[in-house]
Amino acid sequence: MMSITFHQAVFYFFSAIIVIFSILTVTSKRILRAATFLLFVLLGTAAFYFILNYAFMGALQITLYAGGIVVLIIFSILLTSHVGERFEPIGWGKMIASALVSLIGAGFTLYVLLNADFIPTQAPLPDASVKNIGTALLSYERNGFVLPFEVVSLLLLAAIVGAIVIARKEPHDTENPNNE
Amino acid sequence: MTYSIISIMRQELGLVVIALLVLFFDLVVNEKNKQKVFLIALALFGLHTLAGFFPFEGGNLFGGMYSTQPVHILMKNVLNIGVFLVLLMSASWLKTPQIANKSNEFLMILLTTLSGMYFMISAGDFLMFYIGLEIASIPMAILAAYEKFKSRSEEAGIKFLLNSALSTGFLLFGLSLFYAAAGSIYFDDLTRTLSQPSPLVALALTFLLSGLAFKLSLVPFHFWTADVYEGSPMVVTSYFSVISKGAVAFVLGILLFKVFPVFEGLWQNVIYTLAVATMFLGNLFAIRQKNIKRFLAFSSIAQAGFILLGLLHTDNLGIIVIIYFVLIYILSNLAAFGVAQAVYAASGKENIEDYNGFYKTNPRLALIMMLALFSLSGIPPVAGFFSKFFLFTAAAKAGYYWLVFIAVVNTTIALYYYLLVVKAMFINPNPEPLPTIRSDKYLRSALFITVIGIFLTGILSPVFEYIQAMVDKF
Amino acid sequence: MWQDITLQDVLIVSTLMFFSGVYGFLTRRNLITMLMSVELMLNAVNINFVAFNYFLHPENMHGMFFALFVVVIAAAEASVAIAIIIGIYRRFKSINIEDVSNMKY
Repeated sequence: MMSITFHQAVFYFFSAIIVIFSILTVTSKRILRAATFLLFVLLGTAAFYFILNYAFMGALQITLYAGGIVVLIIFSILLTSHVGERFEPIGWGKMIASALVSLIGAGFTLYVLLNADFIPTQAPLPDASVKNIGTALLSYERNGFVLPFEVVSLLLLAAIVGAIVIARKEPHDTENPNNE
Repeated sequence: MTYSIISIMRQELGLVVIALLVLFFDLVVNEKNKQKVFLIALALFGLHTLAGFFPFEGGNLFGGMYSTQPVHILMKNVLNIGVFLVLLMSASWLKTPQIANKSNEFLMILLTTLSGMYFMISAGDFLMFYIGLEIASIPMAILAAYEKFKSRSEEAGIKFLLNSALSTGFLLFGLSLFYAAAGSIYFDDLTRTLSQPSPLVALALTFLLSGLAFKLSLVPFHFWTADVYEGSPMVVTSYFSVISKGAVAFVLGILLFKVFPVFEGLWQNVIYTLAVATMFLGNLFAIRQKNIKRFLAFSSIAQAGFILLGLLHTDNLGIIVIIYFVLIYILSNLAAFGVAQAVYAASGKENIEDYNGFYKTNPRLALIMMLALFSLSGIPPVAGFFSKFFLFTAAAKAGYYWLVFIAVVNTTIALYYYLLVVKAMFINPNPEPLPTIRSDKYLRSALFITVIGIFLTGILSPVFEYIQAMVDKF
Repeated sequence: MWQDITLQDVLIVSTLMFFSGVYGFLTRRNLITMLMSVELMLNAVNINFVAFNYFLHPENMHGMFFALFVVVIAAAEASVAIAIIIGIYRRFKSINIEDVSNMKY
C-alpha cells in the first residue's frame, strides 16, 4: 500500500470540503447557512483550479463566483428572509424519492465514468498564463474565442436591461398581494 | 476577411443592429414618441425578414465556430416569419398602460433571444451552441415575467428560469463528457474523432438529450410547460410555443444528423420512446384543459412529439420535413394564438367555454380559429395535412411503421379535442356570447398572413421544392 | 507538478457535487435555495471541463474556456433570477414555491 503524498493530502482535504459542504448546502435548514456552505464549496473549487495550475480560472472563480454570485445571493436572502428562519421539514416520501433519484443517477454516472478508458496524456501541460488566455480570447483563428466573447456581451446586455425592467418599481405597483 | 464576415454573418449582424437601434431610439426619443419605436422596429424587422431570402453564399468563420449554409439561412428565415407575426400580434398588448412604459425593452429583449437562436443554429462548436441556447432562454424568463402586475406572470418567469437552468446543467454535463471523449468542442473534430459508440458517449448523449428534451418540453420533461405557458403574457406564450420550440427542434436535427450520425443506433431508440410518450401524454392532457392557453400548451407538447418523427429519417429528407412541418406549425399555431389574443385583449377571457357561441358574434375570427385548429390536427386540404403527411412518409420510409401507426392514432385523438373547441364556437349555445371584437390593424394583418399561409403553403408545391433545394445544398 | 492526483478522484468529487445539486433542486422549496442548487450543478460541470482539459487534452484550452464562459453565463442567470425573486417577494412576502404557486396542476 502506497503512502499518501503531501499533494494527495491537500487534494483530499479540499475534496472532502467540497463534498461535505455540497451536501450541507442542499440539506441545511437555515438559508443563510446554506449560502455560507455554498461559499465554501466555491472556494474549494477555486483551490482545485489552483492545484490544477489554472491560476486565472481560480482567480475568476473567487472574484466572480464567490465574490459576485454568492454576495448577490446573500443580499437577496437578507432582503427576503428573516434571519434565523428555519425551513419546514420536507416530507419523508419526497426526500427519499429525491435521494433515490440522485443516488441512482450519481451511481450510474460514476460507474460509467470510472470504467471509461480515459487515456492519460503525455502531452505538455497547457500554458494557461493570462497572456495566452488573453490572446486566445481575442483570436479569430481556430482555438480562438473572440466570437463567444463578443456574443456573450449580448446576453449580458439583455440580462441587465431585463433585470432593471423586472426589478424597478412602477407607478401602478401596489403592495396588495392578490392584485390581479 | 472583414468584408466576408459582414456578408456571411449578415443575418446575425442585422438583427443585433436592429435590437440595439431599438434600445438607442428608446433612449433618445421623448416620452410622447416612445410608441413609434415599435413601428420602426417592425419595419426594420420586416426588411430583415425579406432580406433573408436573397441568395448568397454561406461559409465558415472563426476557425469553424460559426458556419452558415443555405439550410441554416432557411431555418432562420422560417423563424423570422414567425417572429414578424408575433410582433404584429403584440402591437395592441404593447399599448396597454401597464406595458407601454417598457414596450421598447420588450422588443429589444425579444430580438436578442432571436439572435441567440440564430447563433445556436449556426453554431460550429459546443460553446457557441451553449451560449446561443442561453441567450435564447435567460432573457426569455424576463419576457415571461413581463406582466409583473400579475402574480402568475412572475411565477411563470421564475419557473421557466429555474427549470431551464436545471436542464442546462444536464446539457453541460453531457457536453463535458463529449469533450472528454473527443478532446475538442468543435463539431468537425467531434465527427472525426468519435467513430464508435462507447458507454461514455452513450452517457454523454443521454445527458445532452435530456437537457434538450427539457427545452423542447418532451414527456417526461414537460412538467414546467403548462404553468409557464399559462402564466406568461399571451404574446410571450405564442413566442415560447412556436419560435423557441421550432429553433430547438432545428438544432436537435442539426446536432443529430450532422454531429452524431455515427451514433444513430444509440439515439434513435431514445427519440422513438420520447416521441411515443410525448404524443400520448400531450394529447391526453390536452383533452382535460379548460384554459385556452393551457390547451394550446399541451397540444404544442403533442406537436413536438410529431416533430421527433422527422428526426428518425436520417438524411436530407428528415431535415426537409422538419423545416416544412415547423413552418406550417408556426403559421397554424400563431393563427390560433392570434384569435385567442384578440379575444383576451377585448374581454380578458381565456377559458374554452367562453368561446361558446363565438361564431354568432365573430364569424370571421371563429372561421380563422377553425382553420388553424384543422391545420394543427391535419385535416385536408389545409397545410397541416401535408406537413403531417410528409412527416409520416419520412418515418415510414425509415421503416418505423408502428410509430407511424401510433402517430395516426394520436392524430385522431388530437382531432377529437380540436373539434371540441370548434364545437364550442359553432354549436354550443350561449345566452351571452362574447361581444363582437374589433381587433387592431396589426393583428388583423397578422391573421390575414397566417390564413393565406395555411392555405397556400400546403397546396403550392414551390414552397416544398424551395425547402428541398435549400437543404440539398447543405 | 501534482501528478499523483488522478482524474478519477476529481470526477468522483464533481459527480457527487452535481447530484447533490440535483437533490437540492428536487427537495428545496425556497426559490433562492433552488438557485443555489443550480449553481452547484454548474460548478460541478466546470470542474469536469477543467479536469478533462488538464488530464486528457492539454494540447488546447477548450475545457478551460468553456468553464470560463459557463461562469459568466451563470452570473447573468443568477442576476435575472434574483431580480424576479425580489419582484415575487414584493408581491407575496414569501419566496416559497408553494406560496407562490396559484396555478393548479
